[in-house]
Amino acid sequence: MIPAAWSDPLWSYLWQVALHASVLGLILYVWVHRLGLPSGGTRRRLLALLLVLPMMTAAVPGRTGVHFAEQWAWLNSARLLAVPLVGDLRVHHLVLAAGLLMTLVTIWQELSLALRRPKASTDDVPAALLRMVRERPGWEHCVVAISPAGSILVATSGVPGRPRLIASRGALETLTDTDLAIVVAHEHAHWQRDRWWRLHGLFVVRLLQCYHPAALWAFREYCLEVEVECDAAAVAGRDPHALARVLMRVYHGTDAHDVAARAALRKRVDVLIGPGPVDAGVPPATLATVAVVMLLVLPWLV
Amino acid sequence: MARLAGLRSFVVIAAAVLGVLRLIHIAVPIVLPETRQGPIALARLDDVRRTVGFAPLLPAYHPEFLGADPASISVRFSPRPASIVVWRAGNQLLSVTQQRGGAPPAHPPLARPFEDVAGSTWWTDGSRSHLVVERGGFWIHLETTLSTRELRRFVDTLSER
Repeated sequence: MIPAAWSDPLWSYLWQVALHASVLGLILYVWVHRLGLPSGGTRRRLLALLLVLPMMTAAVPGRTGVHFAEQWAWLNSARLLAVPLVGDLRVHHLVLAAGLLMTLVTIWQELSLALRRPKASTDDVPAALLRMVRERPGWEHCVVAISPAGSILVATSGVPGRPRLIASRGALETLTDTDLAIVVAHEHAHWQRDRWWRLHGLFVVRLLQCYHPAALWAFREYCLEVEVECDAAAVAGRDPHALARVLMRVYHGTDAHDVAARAALRKRVDVLIGPGPVDAGVPPATLATVAVVMLLVLPWLV
Repeated sequence: MARLAGLRSFVVIAAAVLGVLRLIHIAVPIVLPETRQGPIALARLDDVRRTVGFAPLLPAYHPEFLGADPASISVRFSPRPASIVVWRAGNQLLSVTQQRGGAPPAHPPLARPFEDVAGSTWWTDGSRSHLVVERGGFWIHLETTLSTRELRRFVDTLSER
């Protein structure tokens, strides 16, 4: 028997979002690999589509009834959820367990990252760094703080209008002025061309989807694509090998067990020193057609 | 067509994925019939109409000791859409199964009409009484451990919820 909780509007909606995101993610993943799409605007738009579209298609009214699911739907996922596994165990038990596990692991990862972050101080900020940061457009009042960490760390926080850049002692001691200028340019690029708003908007969308694997994967890939975009902005008119060398140092300083972080750094380096235009993609008309087609198709999966 | 470059491969891939999903949709209930038939447990009586498309006919009367709210509400979809509402208190039971159309529920050969209820079929099974009546294209199967007097009151007060 499928438990009553599955017909609750909230759980049902979250499951529908996860289902639509998984199907859309699979189609887009295979398509992107078939086309051999490089990093760039097309991939970012597709990943944003993957995060946003399922929230819309899952909310289309009139699909939640079992009559619709049994008589009209192209796929009724309740049939899959009811598949027996062992004893009384069914697929919906497995889905609930996987969802709970993903939620706990993600919350733990995000919390541990926040708790491990060393405290930064705005005292003893080198004047050259302060000048380098504040001469960037829009960063005239940027707060600069120094973290005591020995590893290479340069990051930003805050909100538009009140940005804050944190550099570690390790970064100041290891990087040359040229390297540091490129790294600051990279961080500055995150705050240009509405990138901050887009990233944080999609972060909220991801949070609303309650940690299902497709959304977590799509958001992580989107963040990586934004990093690649900001790398390209930072090295414009400069030697890309300088930033690639910094990234490789960070790579070697990253725990070997942190496979995801190292893979992301590796990809950024490959794109930086790789050949070809970064933004070669598919035409906007194709992307719009893909979005409309999936907007019309996904509601038939319940 | 340059404006729609790459669309053909997308359509092929999407069609292949959706084709596989349709195959799963059709094959799963054939291989595992229980995945289609339900029953699905519901939390509220209001959910019955939403899930199977009709409001259940239930006795307006039922003894106080059975409680106001049913002990369980469920629906199934095969072979015919049906709702099953059960009240339970200790050993006492009242179950109302309502099936849309189809053949009447199976009954033993010795079953007979119940008192003066037209078109009814009544029989007993140990301590349980069963009564099947037809109402507006639905088969209503009442099953109870209570007396025939109570059963009569149940069938007389059947009304839409």
